[in-house]
Amino acid sequence: MTAARRFPALALIVLGAVLMVLPLLIVLDNAVKSPADYSAHGPLSLPHGIHLDALKDFWNRVDFGRVLLNSVLISGSVAVAGVVLSVLNAYAIGIGRIRGRTWVLAFFVLANVLPQEALVYPLYYLAKQVGLYDTRLSLVIVFSVIQAAFGTYLLSSVLGAFPREIIEAARIDGAGSWQVLWRIVVPVSRPTLGVLLVFFFVWTWNEFLLPLVMLPSNDNQTVSVALGVLQGQRLMDATMTNAAGLLGALPALAFFLVFQRTLTRGIAVGAVR
Amino acid sequence: MARLRKPIAMTATALAGALLLASCGSSGGGAGDGRTLRLWHYEAPDSAMGIAWNQAIAEFKKTHPGVKVEFEAKGFEQIQKTASMVLNSDGAPDVMEYNKGNATAGLLAKQGLLTDLTPEVTKYGWDKLLSPSVTTTSRYDTAGVMGSGNWYGVPNFGEYAMVYYNKGLFASNGVKVPTTPEEFTAALAAFKAKGITPLADAGAEYPAQQYLYQLALSKADRAWVDAFELYKGKADFHDAAWTYAADTFADWVDKGYIAKTSSGAKAEDAGVSFISGKSPIFFSGSWWYGRFKTENKFAWGTFLWPGSKLTPGSGGNLWVVPKNARNKQLAYDFIDITMKKGIQNALGNNGGIPVAADPAAITDPQSKTLIDDFTTVTAADGLAFYPDWPVPGFYDVLVSAVQKLITGSAEPAAVLDQLQKAYDAGVPTS
Repeated sequence: MTAARRFPALALIVLGAVLMVLPLLIVLDNAVKSPADYSAHGPLSLPHGIHLDALKDFWNRVDFGRVLLNSVLISGSVAVAGVVLSVLNAYAIGIGRIRGRTWVLAFFVLANVLPQEALVYPLYYLAKQVGLYDTRLSLVIVFSVIQAAFGTYLLSSVLGAFPREIIEAARIDGAGSWQVLWRIVVPVSRPTLGVLLVFFFVWTWNEFLLPLVMLPSNDNQTVSVALGVLQGQRLMDATMTNAAGLLGALPALAFFLVFQRTLTRGIAVGAVR
Repeated sequence: MARLRKPIAMTATALAGALLLASCGSSGGGAGDGRTLRLWHYEAPDSAMGIAWNQAIAEFKKTHPGVKVEFEAKGFEQIQKTASMVLNSDGAPDVMEYNKGNATAGLLAKQGLLTDLTPEVTKYGWDKLLSPSVTTTSRYDTAGVMGSGNWYGVPNFGEYAMVYYNKGLFASNGVKVPTTPEEFTAALAAFKAKGITPLADAGAEYPAQQYLYQLALSKADRAWVDAFELYKGKADFHDAAWTYAADTFADWVDKGYIAKTSSGAKAEDAGVSFISGKSPIFFSGSWWYGRFKTENKFAWGTFLWPGSKLTPGSGGNLWVVPKNARNKQLAYDFIDITMKKGIQNALGNNGGIPVAADPAAITDPQSKTLIDDFTTVTAADGLAFYPDWPVPGFYDVLVSAVQKLITGSAEPAAVLDQLQKAYDAGVPTS
């Protein structure tokens, strides 16, 4: 009975999962084809033999190890810095309830909806003025702020609903603002912070326009910009683009899977206690 | 709880530390001491240009012992989007490949970001190597309009559009290779009669507009091209040439020579349909040549559009020297090496179109046809550039206009109205 009732839902979920995974599978399929195989049989046929030259060529062509390191450095730093900034802001707005917080929040939302294209030129001139143009640090600063704008907005409403009794109990026990933040608020909202951390990492990983503009030299390039190297003026190298896409997506996917496990475990442990 | 916070905190510290260390070592580019040549280009390493220019780098190192060459492979999009910003900073390279045309090289020249190469062009004699219609894209006036004024770039290769055809399919269907416009139409009809859609096309990208433009060119002359591309006179989209082009294109769609399904296709799709042997004819640029050479599994050939003196094409992308380049002399030396016979011959033998090769040194017979045809076109002053050049944003207008012709959602006259409106709105008034 229950099995019969569950079946349609299950089928829907499986269908959804297949639809989600399908593009990745097509990328994988084409990444291991030879160019001749691709041209002869099109993108949807199964490969006639495994051909890993595209992966290897792309790795060497853009010095992928270095690019990967850049992306990990930038995305990792942004994720951490963004979460720290968000927590500090949201603590003041959500729990501290500073005056005019509605306006402050409105400002953060505004910062969030601003298209990046509008930011490109101001950021370029600022970075040039302070000598940070073409450094990874410039991107870390910019993206920490951009991501923190969203983080602040989200966390402020989460912390706004934070049980006041816990905070008041801590205050009675003699905890100052700083201690309340680090001993009470941060540990309790850790799952939310974890999710933000993962989001910030993946979002920053996928950023294209600003890294493209701010990091002209190949030594500082990120993964998403390196993938753009294959975009020719009139031609595209389909198999190599797929190989590059595969290489570009794997690290972010791996990061997500690793942290997802830690997160769910953390939530489950908290629930039992 | 502290169990999880610690690794995060540790990761954070580690990352922050690593970042500080890493960002300390950022390079400020070489100094202007004549010891490093910084070179950027965006050609694939296995393309004709990639191979020839690698050879040029080796040659440069030989003639300049002690000079380091810092080559960075860029993406076309990357250069296109960021050039004006990079060239305005101290991160500018000494020499780089850049897209020709008013909206690209012309714009940078107007903004004062490129070095005026006129003295070097005469000193090294590059102007004597290049035929006049190839040099149109090298010179820009103070408004950034090509065709006259100072030299801001030197083209190292040429490009033009031609008819690629599948010899096997022509033979097996008993179709004669056409030499006149009438025979060309007859060949299309013959394929259609056998149930084959003769022309590979892609409505979502440049191939469709190049068919349309070539059809117009077959009824046009140099003055018409100058009016349309260089604003020397009025471009009328309802003149005989454009009307013939739009009517013929619509007629070919009606007769099934161009598939209605091609309205959403990309250039890649059209190319692949030719490579896989589905389409017997593909009209497109010489940039396909190298790929067809390695991937086509059948005998194939090329010819110029029958009965047309003009053909879409131009000098290739330019070598430019940024205003902020630190080692300009090295840049000039490098450009000069790429213009020498050795590198030019290498370009020709790898499926590219050299601008100053020694015809006798081109050994591959197929490449010989390619280059001979280019010489024929330039000798007749027949390079007519590309239809999207005159006005910013015209590419997208052309795509949408030609798509309407393919789907039949608008009459040819209405489509030409749309083109006229966009052209008039964007044409410089000076």
